[in-house]
Amino acid sequence: MAEAMSQNRKAAFSLARHSTGMIASVLFLAPIVWTVLSTFKPAQEARQPPLPPWPTTGFSVENYQTLNTFGDGLWASAQNSIYVSVMTVLLSVLVSVLAGYGFSRFRFPFRDFFFVLILSTIMIPFQSILTPIFLVLTKLGLHNTLTGLVCVYVTLQLPFSIFMMRNAFDAVPREIEEAARMDGANNVTMLIKVMLPLVWPGVVTIALFAFLGAWNEFLAALVLMTDQSKFTLPVMMTALQSGRFGAIDWGAVQAGVTVMMVPCLILFLALQRFYIRGLMAGAVK
Amino acid sequence: MTAITAASAPVRSRAGVSRRQWVGLLYVLPAVALVTVFFVIPLGMTAWMSLNNWPLMGEHSFVGLDNYIAILHDTRFWNALKFTFYYTVIVTIAIFAVAFPLAIFIEKPRPLTNLYRTAFFMPAVVGFASASLLWSWLLNVDSGLFSPAAYDIGLTEKKVNLLATFQPAFWSIIAMVVWKVAGFTMIILMTGLQSIPQDLQEAAVIDGAGPFARFRAITLPLMRRTLALALILSVAGSILAFDQFYIILRGGPRNQTLTAVYWIFNQSFVSFKLGYGAALSMVLLVILVALSLVQLWLLRKPEGLD
Amino acid sequence: MKTMLAKLMLAAAVIGGGLQAASAETANIWVRADGSNFMPRIVDAFNKAHKDQIKLDIIPNAEIIPKYGAAAAGGTAPDALSLDLIYTPSFAAAGQLEDITDWAKSLPYFSSLSPAHVKTGTYKGRIYGLPFSADSSVLIWNKKLFKQAGLDPEKGPTNWAEIEADAEKVNALGGDIKGFYFSGNCGGCNIFTFTPLIWASGGDILSEDGSKATLDSPQLRGAIDLYRSMVKKGLVPEGAQTDTGANFFAAFAGGKIGLSPSGAFAIGALNTQYPDVDYGITFLPGKDGGWSSFAGGDNFVVTKGTKKIAVVKEFLDFAYSLEGQTILAKYGSLPVRGDIAKEALKDLDPRYQVAAEAMAKGKTPYSVVFNDLINSANGPWTQMINEVFFGDDVDGAIANAQETMQSIIDQAPNK
Repeated sequence: MAEAMSQNRKAAFSLARHSTGMIASVLFLAPIVWTVLSTFKPAQEARQPPLPPWPTTGFSVENYQTLNTFGDGLWASAQNSIYVSVMTVLLSVLVSVLAGYGFSRFRFPFRDFFFVLILSTIMIPFQSILTPIFLVLTKLGLHNTLTGLVCVYVTLQLPFSIFMMRNAFDAVPREIEEAARMDGANNVTMLIKVMLPLVWPGVVTIALFAFLGAWNEFLAALVLMTDQSKFTLPVMMTALQSGRFGAIDWGAVQAGVTVMMVPCLILFLALQRFYIRGLMAGAVK
Repeated sequence: MTAITAASAPVRSRAGVSRRQWVGLLYVLPAVALVTVFFVIPLGMTAWMSLNNWPLMGEHSFVGLDNYIAILHDTRFWNALKFTFYYTVIVTIAIFAVAFPLAIFIEKPRPLTNLYRTAFFMPAVVGFASASLLWSWLLNVDSGLFSPAAYDIGLTEKKVNLLATFQPAFWSIIAMVVWKVAGFTMIILMTGLQSIPQDLQEAAVIDGAGPFARFRAITLPLMRRTLALALILSVAGSILAFDQFYIILRGGPRNQTLTAVYWIFNQSFVSFKLGYGAALSMVLLVILVALSLVQLWLLRKPEGLD
Repeated sequence: MKTMLAKLMLAAAVIGGGLQAASAETANIWVRADGSNFMPRIVDAFNKAHKDQIKLDIIPNAEIIPKYGAAAAGGTAPDALSLDLIYTPSFAAAGQLEDITDWAKSLPYFSSLSPAHVKTGTYKGRIYGLPFSADSSVLIWNKKLFKQAGLDPEKGPTNWAEIEADAEKVNALGGDIKGFYFSGNCGGCNIFTFTPLIWASGGDILSEDGSKATLDSPQLRGAIDLYRSMVKKGLVPEGAQTDTGANFFAAFAGGKIGLSPSGAFAIGALNTQYPDVDYGITFLPGKDGGWSSFAGGDNFVVTKGTKKIAVVKEFLDFAYSLEGQTILAKYGSLPVRGDIAKEALKDLDPRYQVAAEAMAKGKTPYSVVFNDLINSANGPWTQMINEVFFGDDVDGAIANAQETMQSIIDQAPNK
């Protein structure tokens, strides 16, 4: 009897839990799914009432095609975004792996000073120093160039990724290094051949964060890029949404938003483990 | 190459070791250079520019503290700052009100928990700009979702322009930010929850403590550091809010949703008063550093009972 | 002496094909995106007929100022640019522009150049900008909807009461059709289309030299009441309240709006992109008749110290010729030379004549801080129009805007 009661209560609890979970999941996913579905409506239908969300008069990629006719086109902006994000990933991984290794394994003058200097930049919002960054880039001849933007993004990533990488290297036992050195590996070979595979999860994590950071960043891209042909996706889409190219085509806006979201979602789903890891590392420390 | 290194390794002297340590400087050099050029120098320049009248075109001139004195009289800046704090408080409460229950919901591994966690977290990986663009469509009066849908199913007599007046516009933004950020805060809180030893909870159950009493006596105190961290992240992020107000509202209706960063952006990159913008930045910077110090103070004591 | 030199250089530019044969030069010119229709055509025509060449860059409207500023700081500014005329005073005040007073005054047709352009091109008595392209604000109405509503489709309103009455009749058609449209959250749109209502009634929002804000004028209050009344009666679509200019033209072009204040640019845009919309063009009237217009467009300015000044002048000479003026008119700009305007427009849509007349008698506010006062999406003017058209506290909003605008004017550098 008591057993049956408890069984029932368990079932009721489970039902309540899953219905709550389902409803909450729908609430969180609906805006994304809705947008993605709407993009496949033909332009004509996109102006009609929004219910139901899916296309009723046939599947169409018209919105994506229109998007390519604004400004320098969706593809041009997507290329800029890809270039900036990939370069940011490569550079920030390179710089942080080197620095993480350096901070973890060497005792050189001013080591702690430099480490604190880099970490402390996280306390200062880059938004407040955008103007001089703009002027510095001008002085370096990098204003209005994607390379300049990459430099800024890499710098923004450094405190987090160097912190991550130093911890990753710290976790590698020194014995492994000693052994490798005995086998005659020099610093660089050791770093690449021996250490890198051991800290690989950390590298994936910082690469993921660097990609998402660069791909989604808006304010710096808005301020530093004035040439339309160099707009990244967020800036180009905001120009489109503000009607700079004539009337606002919401179908095209949705299509653009989809293009902006999908890489993030895919990367996240594929590398979720690394992402959560990065967050936890930040949260625990 | 390998052979040479192998040969030279055993004969390294003490001086060699210390030289070897100097090599570390080479490893960190690129990072230090980047931070210096794109952070330290700009920071110094901000301080210097804030003492100058610095137009985009033409010559700049030293004006001492004039910019700071002008800030004192800049009611629009103080209004923006007031709004920023108001937004920060409301949005932080809203985020925690949603994220905490979610964190408790996904804390223990049960069937489908990972699926739910992923679903709740999805909006967090979408950028603020994408999320803002998405919601600016949802909120549009003519072609969006909420207002036309409400009209279609007969909830409202005419299409209501949600972005036209302060209250609906402000709460729409809050809804959007909670949607986007709650998953992120949830994960952080979850780490905190998971770090609470299970036996403590069980001991409390045996002592006859109800769920609420347990939450107050065990969960909250033991999570102080995590809570503080989540709080700081939320507060710092909200004080620097810009994307959503720029993209969805353009600071409207009637400039009532201009945030501090938005105002600095306007002064620096719309009006091109670079010196004045720099002075405003310094003020914002001092406020944020002060908040960070409060953060350090909150985190100063060691965690909980152990 | 300077005049002599300028004349000599001009002469060299005009006759001196042979002299320059060895060294044909290329000057770089920027234009804002609004000119992306006519500018490439006139540059092409110039390049075909001349040894010296122009290299044209088209810059998005909102970016032309920051981009020019950054380029000037980095030493890569163009030799000249076609600049929204209202910005000429602030560019001149910043010391970025070449003083072209002597050359300008040596032009035989100087006195027939668009007065609004020359006024804004003048800073502290010297000329820094000359008219290049022109656009005037007018009132457009939808003839088809007027007919359906039982109105005379050939007759536009001539005073405020008629605007409201016509809008009401069209609005009564019901459905998606609305009587009137304006971009209720766009400062630039409304300085262009709303202030002429005030000017035509004898009021103004800025003093002649731009040193005083005069928002307390009763004519402003009257024009506000007209818009408020139309909003209250539901003649204006809901979206107008948050329209930051994105729908400024598109709303009327959709064919479901009875009346909308707009600009001469709409003639070309409607004819080419929306040939189905049958529309009429008239002046923006005053309260009891009369009319006014905002004379807008671009001034041509020369970057200080450029070495290509001869080429730049050659190009401007070409633009001022009948051929140049005709090309401009054909592709969307009104002529800026009053003496040959009729001739340049003679083969075009007759509705251009209304816009050209509006241009000739149009007015342009003068201020070195025009962007901060008027155009900025977060400036006092934009905030005020939204409050007074849709909000509750009209007097408070006006008083607030008056105070903020005056303080911006008073704090302006080099005023």
